[in-house]
Amino acid sequence: MTALLEVRGVDAGYGDVQVLFGVSLQVREGEIVTLLGSNGAGKTTTLRCICGLISPRKGEVLFHGESLAAVAPDHRAGLGIALVPEGRELWPQLTVRENLELGAYHRRARRSLSKNLDRVQALFPRLLERKSQLAGSLSGGEQQMCAIARALMSDPKLLLLDEPSLGLAPIVVDQMFEAVRQLHREGMTLLLVEQNLVAALEIATRGYVVETGRVRLEGEAAALRSDPGIRAAYLGI
Amino acid sequence: MIEHLLDLTVSAFLLAGLYATMAYGLGLIYGVLRVVNLNHGGMIMAGAYAAWWAHDQFGLDPYLSIPIILVLAFLVGVLTYAGLVRRLPRGAAGGVQSLLLLFGVWLILRNAAYLVFSGNDQTVLTSYSTKALPFLGAQISVNRLAVFGVALVTLGALHLFLTRTYVGKAIRAVAQNPESCTLAGVPVQRIYMLTFGLGTALASLAGALATGLYAFNPGFGATELLKSFVVVVLGGLGSVAGTAVAALILALVENFSILVIPSYLTSAVGFVLLVLVLVLRPGGLFGQRVLG
Ligand SMILES: Nc1ncnc2c1ncn2[C@@H]1O[C@H](COP(=O)(O)OP(=O)(O)OP(=O)(O)O)[C@@H](O)[C@H]1O
Ligand SMILES: [Mg+2]
Repeated sequence: MTALLEVRGVDAGYGDVQVLFGVSLQVREGEIVTLLGSNGAGKTTTLRCICGLISPRKGEVLFHGESLAAVAPDHRAGLGIALVPEGRELWPQLTVRENLELGAYHRRARRSLSKNLDRVQALFPRLLERKSQLAGSLSGGEQQMCAIARALMSDPKLLLLDEPSLGLAPIVVDQMFEAVRQLHREGMTLLLVEQNLVAALEIATRGYVVETGRVRLEGEAAALRSDPGIRAAYLGI
Repeated sequence: MIEHLLDLTVSAFLLAGLYATMAYGLGLIYGVLRVVNLNHGGMIMAGAYAAWWAHDQFGLDPYLSIPIILVLAFLVGVLTYAGLVRRLPRGAAGGVQSLLLLFGVWLILRNAAYLVFSGNDQTVLTSYSTKALPFLGAQISVNRLAVFGVALVTLGALHLFLTRTYVGKAIRAVAQNPESCTLAGVPVQRIYMLTFGLGTALASLAGALATGLYAFNPGFGATELLKSFVVVVLGGLGSVAGTAVAALILALVENFSILVIPSYLTSAVGFVLLVLVLVLRPGGLFGQRVLG
């Protein structure tokens, strides 16, 4: 069975700086795959390659088994790839409602706008209360929910989440992971970048560990959880 | 005396319509693309000549030629973006390049106008040019009323477009975070092109409207560009309400200044206002909101 997403031997970077060195990973339909690694390992860069915000120098990204090399970044949402970027990146002076509407900009999503609105509001009832408020005035946790909801409005088949728990209070982090679990139960395929290893490996099917732009370890989440190397390096146990 | 003050106030309100139209395009382009369109002055001049030419050649009423002028200027803006502006770096790093380039385009337009139309002052005289209507005891020229009406309708329509339509919302979103727009599937380059076309069309509209009020020559547009800057700085970027209030402030200050200073200094008043705002409220009266 071909994977929904395959990153195959990707080199990438910014200007003269190479950040990724032959990164390969796969996400199969219905999985939650987590991409782990410390600061500056290249997790965000990997997600940016998948969305087309930067182009790989070598290797390729395949979606449904087909190369995305010729697909412009603004056409990838239409194919079913959505990113919740690190730091939310909402449109702060638009209302929550407007943020959600624009999340469904491409044609396919616009057709099912009201259905998707109902769906994200069921997932995050808080957003319904806040829908006329400017996105920039929301609390950190609400902004993260708004960012996830905006990505869901594009009706994705693959949801990329870049450190959704970053900077949130512990109780809000729990709600976040609960929402991710709920999406997974509904059949969503997810690639989750996290520094919160324990929580990520708890909900993930499989995981990859990147270090300085290279995949160091990969495997079933359960196996990674008990891997002595990981426990020593990342969990301090 | 009271009557005179009333006159000045009413005429300031009417003038503010023109000022707001003039400034809105400049603020829209800067807010969305982070490019200072120095050719704004050139397109104000071009709009005035287009209205004058259509009237001179075909006897077409300036208000009737406005739709055609808008369409043509929109296309000029789209081409300017696709052919020139798109290729340049933008924002803090690339500000100088686009500034110089668009200034160059303005110079070319201006010199072309000198070649074709000479440097003589032109006016558009219609059957109603000298007509006036009584209003609250004052006499108001029909042209001033019409200019105000067109400006009001235009700004109202723009406001609705930006707040009610998908594309309009996308324009505001691009101003705030273009990368998030790309991720949502918004064709950001096309939005830039559309915005540049809209801003350019607004400049030409202001020029066409101005023919009902002023004589002009190829140098026309320079003072108007500077006044547009004043309004944008006072009113913030792309907020229709902010622009309207700022335009009104400028028009009121200009009009009332003739009570205390000689009239040839009126156009300098705006710049004094600009300097005051920059010193006292560097974020503008309405803060840094961008197309909120
Ligand atoms: N726009 C950029 N220009 C130049 N270098 C960059 C840029 N963005 C990231 N880098 C560099 O690329 C490397 C990998 O960055 P990346 O953002 O992919 O890491 P990350 O794993 O997401 O880290 P974090 O957990 O801190 O988000 C870092 O060394 C970073 O300094
Ligand atoms: Mg990152």
